[in-house]
Order: sequence, then structure tokens, then C-alpha cells
Amino acid sequence: MRRYFLLAASLALLLALLFVAWYEKLHPKPVPLTPTLTGQVEYCLTCHSDLAQISNSHPVQTFGCVLCHSGEPLALDANLAHSTMRGGSNPSDFSVVQASCGSDKCHSGTPESYSNHIQRATTSIQATYAGAIANIMFTFGVQPDLTARLGIFSVQVPGSTSGITALAAFDPAQETNPYVKAFGQNCLTCHLSAQPMPGSVYFRFTGCAACHTPTQSADRTSTQQLQSSQIHKLTTSISYTQCDTCHNRGNYDLRSITFTPRQDLPIDRLHDYYQPIAQFTSCEWMLDCVDCHTRTEAMGDGNLYSSKLDIQYIQCKTCHGTLTELPQTRPLTDPNDLAFRLALINPVVDLKLGDTILVTGKNEPLWNTCVLPDGIYQLVGKATGEVFPFKPVMGSACTQNGTDQTSAYCHTCHSVTR
Amino acid sequence: MRPNFFHHLHPPTIPARQARLRYTLAAGGLAVFLGLVLLVTGLLEMLYYIPTPIMASASIQTLTFLVPYGGLVRNLHFWSAQFLVIVSIVHLFRVILTGSYAPPRRLNYLLGMGLLVLAVLLDFTGYVLRWDEGIHWALVTGTNLVKSIPLLGPSLYTLLVGGALPGPATLIRFYGWHIFGLTLAAGILVAWHIFRVRRDGGIAVPPPAFRLDHIRITRYELVRREVLAMLLAAIGLLLLSTFAPAPLAPAITANFPRVETARAPWFFLWVQQMLKLGNPFFWGVVVPLAVLLLLSLIPYIFPIAARPELGRWFPRGNRIAQVVSVFVLLGVLVLTVLALMPAS
Repeated sequence: MRRYFLLAASLALLLALLFVAWYEKLHPKPVPLTPTLTGQVEYCLTCHSDLAQISNSHPVQTFGCVLCHSGEPLALDANLAHSTMRGGSNPSDFSVVQASCGSDKCHSGTPESYSNHIQRATTSIQATYAGAIANIMFTFGVQPDLTARLGIFSVQVPGSTSGITALAAFDPAQETNPYVKAFGQNCLTCHLSAQPMPGSVYFRFTGCAACHTPTQSADRTSTQQLQSSQIHKLTTSISYTQCDTCHNRGNYDLRSITFTPRQDLPIDRLHDYYQPIAQFTSCEWMLDCVDCHTRTEAMGDGNLYSSKLDIQYIQCKTCHGTLTELPQTRPLTDPNDLAFRLALINPVVDLKLGDTILVTGKNEPLWNTCVLPDGIYQLVGKATGEVFPFKPVMGSACTQNGTDQTSAYCHTCHSVTR
Repeated sequence: MRPNFFHHLHPPTIPARQARLRYTLAAGGLAVFLGLVLLVTGLLEMLYYIPTPIMASASIQTLTFLVPYGGLVRNLHFWSAQFLVIVSIVHLFRVILTGSYAPPRRLNYLLGMGLLVLAVLLDFTGYVLRWDEGIHWALVTGTNLVKSIPLLGPSLYTLLVGGALPGPATLIRFYGWHIFGLTLAAGILVAWHIFRVRRDGGIAVPPPAFRLDHIRITRYELVRREVLAMLLAAIGLLLLSTFAPAPLAPAITANFPRVETARAPWFFLWVQQMLKLGNPFFWGVVVPLAVLLLLSLIPYIFPIAARPELGRWFPRGNRIAQVVSVFVLLGVLVLTVLALMPAS
């Protein structure tokens, strides 16, 4: 009888060995990738082979995953592999963006190399929220004027040409004014480092991805699903819906210092016009925000400002000119013109040397526009690819005073009826 | 049946009660088996492990995740090491609580204590070889304890760490001690320990005149039992290693925030808990060494069991030693549990 113990134990060991061998086979076969930029092998694709390439500008064979996301490149245990990822699933969060997207070869550098995006974005009014903070501080008597002194985080720009060279960090807990305190509690959900408000219409990421990662296509059945959905995309083809996650979903009430969500859930694009303005014209609902508003307006120019009005400068006349002036244009004679670079990243137009495009008052290229041979103009939607021909004011029946470019003034005649 | 090599390692017959599981708990035999598993799996790990700060963690991750059965080998090494410390302690307490260390086995008791210390040091050095975020306690607190020793401390620290701060020299020193220095010492002590078991008349039992039974078993039966224990232990180790992976943490990097709640390896948690009481030299060096000394001196300072009492649990003769050792064990266990509890 005892002899069989040994036999049984031997058989059990054999079975255990067979089981271990079978169990080992259950593990996925490691998928190596050695990105050309790092030269270091990584095994992220073992599990993430189904993830779409983030953008054509970031080919996975060149960048891999670890260069941007960090993490443990050799680990095939999810917890360990992900434990050192920068910014969790979002390496573009401003707390880590310099390490993820920075370096002078990538998105931080000099204005001349067009690569100072991080320096510009992190000092922009959308990141600092300095305008809203300054307005509240002034309105409730905490500071004597509207000049920004505080931002979401402290930031210094020694060479700032706006007159503001530094912002201290706004800390609502340190404030004694009850309105400013309430503002801190209720109204800090729309800057680029803020987690969005609960609700699928507000869902966006933080940092660069707040704008450049489209969240509208995600599974929006619940906020929880949104948080867990992997939207692996970076784009400059930014739909108005992305801007709407902050800009068009309600209003702040200064009396109660609360946010009042928009109740009229839009049924179509026309009804999803930019709500804070009561009157609007065709281009304000047919185009996407980024079709007119430039990268400098949205991402800043590297200086610190007290209000979005200090950096926002696109007006009707930028594209349409006035009765006495045609809009500014620039013939593309330099193959290194920024317009080509921008058109390459979002190839909705096929720009060629010799084409003439519109430019802004600051000489920024409106690269998705061009002057057609018959003197009219054309704009191609950056997010839609839709073609919009348009005419200059000059030579039209318009009776405008060209110096008045306020919204209300032009909307007196040019407004859409719903 | 002609005895083979393994049979010849054993006496032709032994008293049956020397090999009863409820008396020996198979702890000594299991320790030998675990040591052999550690030797084989350790040799395999050496084929992949690269003992430099930059490559150590990466080479372990490569072994664990990318080498076929590499994770299994590492897990077997890890679990064998943990169980070696556990069965060594079980073996020690079996010897104390049965009074088996009475002369002529006092020298072998000391050899066994030496082996327990070596098992812990091997476990500790092996743990440091991970060189990842999980070993900060060992690297910082553990080595600083050495520095706290008056007069000798700084020199000992430099000797251990190989410089003013833990770095590449530390890793290669721990590697050297782990794969060679401590292993060689352990190998010699194991051989000496087993030789002394034979020389001292096998596992402690009463002299023939005092034995109630005179049943003897042959070496065939003894080897059969040993093999059975090893087979069962191997099955347990294999299954544990398949389902419970050895711990791993991210590589140590300069820009990744270090874990604030660094925890000592489990066998040093009691020391870590005592360090909260104050003076690191006293609580971290003097008290643990005093505990070790107390346990080592048990055969020399407390009354010992009479020879007729041997071969069974809890003989009257060494009651004081039993009580003292159980108190020490309980103290260590309580401190360990306290250290494991989340900080309030």
C-alpha cells in the first residue's frame, strides 16, 4: 500500500508539471518592438496590438509606446507594466507633459523652430485660467484691477511682452472672500489641468489631449465608461464638439457662483451654435472653431495674459476684409513656410508652392484657405474637409464701418434665423 | 535490493521514532530539499541576471516575462527561499521544544543556528539583487543600521556598501555574497551539520535502555519517506510558483518618486517595527543580536532535558528554554503583525 504513495506522488508531480507547462502556454506570446527613436525593445504590443496608431505624425515603429507613456517596457504583468506610466493613461497632462511630449526635438523648443508648444500651451489663458480668476478677484473686491496675478499653477515668463511676467498659484483654501472660495470650489472645471465635470457632454482629457484627443466618438453611455475608454488619437483636426466640452455647455452665474448647465440639448449642428452669443452668422455654426481661430489664439503665444480678449484677435475682416481693404494674403514661395507644415499634419488641403493663402493680422497662416483665380476665396473645414467659398466685403453691397468689428455690429445684418 | 548512492548516504537502519513525521516535522529534510531547489534555480537565474544597477531590474523582468519558464524558475527560487527560512525556524523550534540540543548535540545546534542566519542573509541579499523600487528599506534603512554601530559602523558600512552611498559597488558585493560567499559557507555548514547528525547518533531519541519500542526502519524506507516528502513539497512549490508570482517593482530611476512606505522583507519586519521605538543601534542591532545570542546559548545557559526524556515533545527538563524560546517567537510574531498593520 505504502509503495503506491510514492507512485501516486510521482504521478501527481508529473501532472503538476504538465499543468504548469499548459499554463505557461496560456500566456500571450511576447510581441517585441524596437522603436527607431529609442532603440530599446519594448513589449507593450503584446497586449496593445489592437490599439490604433495615435497619429500619422507619431508612427509606432518610430516612437513606440514608452517614449511618450513611460512605464516598464519589459513587463508583461499589467500592474507592473503600467505602474510607472507618466500621467496615468494621459501623458499629455501638464504635470508630466514636459517629460512626455517635450525635449527640443519634439514639442518644446523655440518659437523659430515652431516647437514651443508646451511653453505656449502651459502659459496660455486656457491653462492658467488667469482671466477668470482675475475677473472674480476684481469683481468681489479682492484686487483693484483686472490684471492677472494668479493662475491655476505658478508660472514665470521672464521675457513676457504682455507686462505680466509671473503668476502665483491660486489656492482657494487660502482665500477668505466667500465668493472667491465658492469660485474655487464650483468653477475650476474648465482649465486644461482640471478634471471635467461629471457627465458625458463634458468628457475630455487634460493637458494637450483636452483638445487634441477627440472624445466625442467614445462610448458615452456613462462617465465611467468614458473614463475607461481608450481613445488613442491625437489630431489637429479638432471638431467643434471638442471645444464644446468646455465652451458651449452652460454658463456661470456670478450671483450664486455656480455653473448652470445648458438645458437646450442641441438637436442638430444649427442648434448647437456657440451659445454665449445670441446672434450668429453662417460661419459661426457651419464651420468648426479651429477653422478660424488659430493655434496662437487657442494655445497662446508664450506670454501671460489677463484675458482671452488679449490674445483672441480673429475678426470678420480677417477673412472678409473691409470695404476699402481686401483680407491679407501671402503667396507661398518658401517651401519651409509654416503653412506647409500645418497642412501636412492635417492634410485636408493640398497646398503647393505658388498658392496664395490668407493670413491673419499677425501674419499667421490660415493654411486651410486660399485665394482662387477669380478673386474669391475658399476655406476647407479642418475637421470636415468641407469646402466653403466666400467673398470679400470689398465690392459688395455691405455698408459697414470697417473699423467696427464687434460681433453685434456685423450680426445686425448677418445673422441666421433658426 | 542493492543500496544505491542515495541509500548509502543513510545508515542501514535507524530507530523508527527518529523518522516519525509528528516528531521531526520533516523540517530538516525539507530544508535540504529547498536548498537543492535554490541551488538549481539560482544557477539558472545566473544565466540571465546582470548585476549592474541599470540592468539588474531589466534583466529580472526579461527573465520573468520573456524567457520561457523563466518566471517559473524565478518564482520557484523565491518561494523556496521563503520556505527555507520558515522550515529552518520550524526545525529550530522542533529541536528546542523536544530538548534535542542536549549534549552531544550542542555543537550541531550552533551549526544549525549558523545555517538559519545564513538562510536569512541569503534571502536578504537575494532580495536586494532585485534592485527595484521594492527594496528601498534594505538599501537605505538596512544598510544604515550597520552605520549606526559605534566605532566599527562606518567601516563596516563601507565594507558592505562599497562606498559612501549604495550604488554599483553595493550591488556587485551583494551579488558576490549571495552567489558565492554565503552559498559556499552554507554548503560547508550543511555538510558539517548533516555529518554531525550522523556522528551524534542520528536524530535525538532516548538511549536503547529507555526506549519503549525497539522498532527500526531500513534505509530503503527512510529514503522512500524522504522522496515522498520531496515529491509533495515539489508539487506544492510548483503550484504556488505558478499562481503566486514573486514580487517585482519598477526599476529604480532618478525621476520616479520613491515609495514613502518602504517595507522591510517579511523576515525583518519585526526589526523594522522595533526601529519605531527609537535608537536605531539599540533596537536595530543590539536587540536582534541579543535575540540571536539568547537563542544560540539555549543549550549552554538553561537546564537541559535528561536523556530518557528525549525523542518526544515538551520534555520537562528544558521547560525554561521552551518558555523563553516561545516568548521570543511570539514577540517576533507580534512585532511582525504590528508592522504589517496599516499605519493609523
